[in-house]
Amino acid sequence: MKKLSIKIWALILVFLFITIAFMYVFTDIIYEQLYVEHTKDSMVEVGENLQTMYIGGKVTDELVDKVDQYNLFSNYKVFAVRNPKELSACLPFEIDYDTLIGTDERKQLLQGDYITKIGYEKRFDRQVISVILPLTDQDRLEGILYLYYPLAKISELPKKEVVILISSVLLFAIVVGYFVRKGIQLLMKPLNELHEAVENMSRRNYETRVSVTSKDEIGKLSEAFNEMAAEIQREDEEQRTFLATVSHELRTPISYVKGYSEAIQNNFVEGKEKEEAMELIVREANRMERLTNEIFQLARSKNNIEDLELYPIVLAETVRDSVKLLEQQAENKKITLSVSLDENIIALANEEKLKQIFINVIENAIRYSMVGSKVNIMTKIMKEKAVIEIADNGIGIPSEDLPHITERFYRVNKARSRADGGSGLGLSIVDQLVTQHNGKLAIVSELGKGTIVTITIPCMEEI
Amino acid sequence: MTIVKDRKVFILLAILMVLTGCSEKGFTPINHHQSFVGAVNIVEPAVSFYDPSGDKIATWKFDKAYTGAVLIQKDQILMYGHELNEADLYQLSNGKKKATIETGVGATNAYYDEKNQLFFITNSANNTVTSYDLNGKKLNQTKLGNYPMSMASHDGKLYVVNYKDTVLSVLNMKTLEVEQEWEIDKSSNGIVVVPEKNSIWIGGHGEGSQPNQTVDIYDLHTGKNIGVLEAAFMPIGFAKSDHEVYIVNHGSNELVVTNLSGKVLWHIEVGANPFSVTYIRDQIVVAGYDDSKVYFIRNGKIEKEIETNKGPFQLLVREVGT
Repeated sequence: MKKLSIKIWALILVFLFITIAFMYVFTDIIYEQLYVEHTKDSMVEVGENLQTMYIGGKVTDELVDKVDQYNLFSNYKVFAVRNPKELSACLPFEIDYDTLIGTDERKQLLQGDYITKIGYEKRFDRQVISVILPLTDQDRLEGILYLYYPLAKISELPKKEVVILISSVLLFAIVVGYFVRKGIQLLMKPLNELHEAVENMSRRNYETRVSVTSKDEIGKLSEAFNEMAAEIQREDEEQRTFLATVSHELRTPISYVKGYSEAIQNNFVEGKEKEEAMELIVREANRMERLTNEIFQLARSKNNIEDLELYPIVLAETVRDSVKLLEQQAENKKITLSVSLDENIIALANEEKLKQIFINVIENAIRYSMVGSKVNIMTKIMKEKAVIEIADNGIGIPSEDLPHITERFYRVNKARSRADGGSGLGLSIVDQLVTQHNGKLAIVSELGKGTIVTITIPCMEEI
Repeated sequence: MTIVKDRKVFILLAILMVLTGCSEKGFTPINHHQSFVGAVNIVEPAVSFYDPSGDKIATWKFDKAYTGAVLIQKDQILMYGHELNEADLYQLSNGKKKATIETGVGATNAYYDEKNQLFFITNSANNTVTSYDLNGKKLNQTKLGNYPMSMASHDGKLYVVNYKDTVLSVLNMKTLEVEQEWEIDKSSNGIVVVPEKNSIWIGGHGEGSQPNQTVDIYDLHTGKNIGVLEAAFMPIGFAKSDHEVYIVNHGSNELVVTNLSGKVLWHIEVGANPFSVTYIRDQIVVAGYDDSKVYFIRNGKIEKEIETNKGPFQLLVREVGT
């Protein structure tokens, strides 16, 4: 397959040759129009001047000679003709001779008009411009003045000039062709770079970037490519981190389970210790179960973003249900769950998933709040949307961690979180579910003072 | 009842009148006693009739491309055309067409011999001469040289110049048998018999680009070249009176008058490209083809020049005693 640059180059060359051909024809026409017209006018002028030498009567030898002499000083060939045979005087008799002027021309000349002709003349065996002027006395065509000038077509130029003309045209075409090719190469350079970069990308070199040197279409394409490459790279790194984290997260409980179960099998632990070990095994197994469930959910919801069915539900009820499920957990930490609900809000949501969102968020609030503190849960309508606000007075989140809080396995304090029993996927799932509800998740937090989680989801418009 | 009958008769008469009116439509009649010179114009086909003093009698304009005419007896003209299939015979005294003669295309010339009351038509398409009687009945036809055209007659013989050939044919007028063939120049045109001097004069355009500058004189019986008249430049029109021969040189726009021996008596520049000359009473008449004028010359001077229709190619003359 030919390269695009060669195609463009060939196209430009074709246009170049078409232009040259057109200019040739055009020049030829202009040449004929201007040069020939000028020559004709000038010949008529000369002819009319020569005509004044004729004073009537027969065309004398002296006049013929004088006209002949004019040839010595003139570009145009000129001769006087007085032979009636040449002047078609014998018509209407049939004649066996190719006369210099025809019947119609004779008629025109008899009226005193001059004749101009351009074209092939058999007499001179070439293309000529000719001007014929009558020498008339009364009504007699005593003779004519015949002026002619060879009509040199551009193609009839002397050989040397034709060679110069053709070589300069060729040279011009070569030079233009060379520069056009160079220009195209320069233009195509970023495209070639892009091509290489794409190939690099397909070889999984995601750090590949192209340099953006212009603001034209290719520049924009390069920019878009760079953005795409960055996104792919980020996605790839995330994937790697995720896999590393998942294996890491699973390894710890597995090693616990493996260690303690081996200890039990080998009877290294007995009695109360054995019970504690069994309890630990169950706890870690639960952790693993929960972790795998969450990963599965995360993977599934990511694949089925559009599948979530949304329908009108009474928001207050869902919140209340969720709170109810966590009341025991709160009580264990002596935490008060203060609920303030707008009973009229009908949200457009999936009840089960919405409940999951609330449980996750409220559970987090309980988990990171001090014993005996308070978690406020409030719903309201703002700008025709349902807003659920869950505020705690807990430990808060450092501002540098806040932007990453919804990333998978992101933990503010890894050691402590694991001890808290969190998988690091909770807020990730919440964020995804809120997105599936066409809603928004906003987290405001101040370290040591508490966190406010605001969820905004669409609600039914009031009829 | 009678009224109805009268009306029928009236209608019938009216129809008859219209019909006869149509068919009887003709040209201005030329009186039997009127002498005239007729200019046969071929650029705009017409015959213009002038009385001996140069006054116009009538113009017969045709819508047929006639290229020549000949006067037959005193009251008829035969109009023929090179591109026409037929020649038409008109009666002068009533201005009407009398007969049509099938000639076939290619008619180059027509000639009338008063003595034998025969007319002849030469044809360049089949290179023949054909004789007709006064009723237009075809009598004989003979094949001649290339392009027979100029004709003259004397003493039962018809002399035909073959224009694109180098032969003059001498025929028996009645049988049209070729009796002699004389060698002449190519492009010869114009012929006049001078019986007083036992000679026949032939002019011409000249071959190729060379204009002919002589009138060649031949022995009337043997065809032997007996003289050359140099005062000529493309002489093609001849006329003869009792003592003089009139020659028009169309190459030099000139009328040359000689005695019967060929001695130039005088000459005069006249017309533009004159093809034809004749004489009537004491006047010589010349027609200029290019200037479309007819000139009346008396005593060596142009006495009158008359604008005629375009392209006067031949002159017809009729002289009747008053």
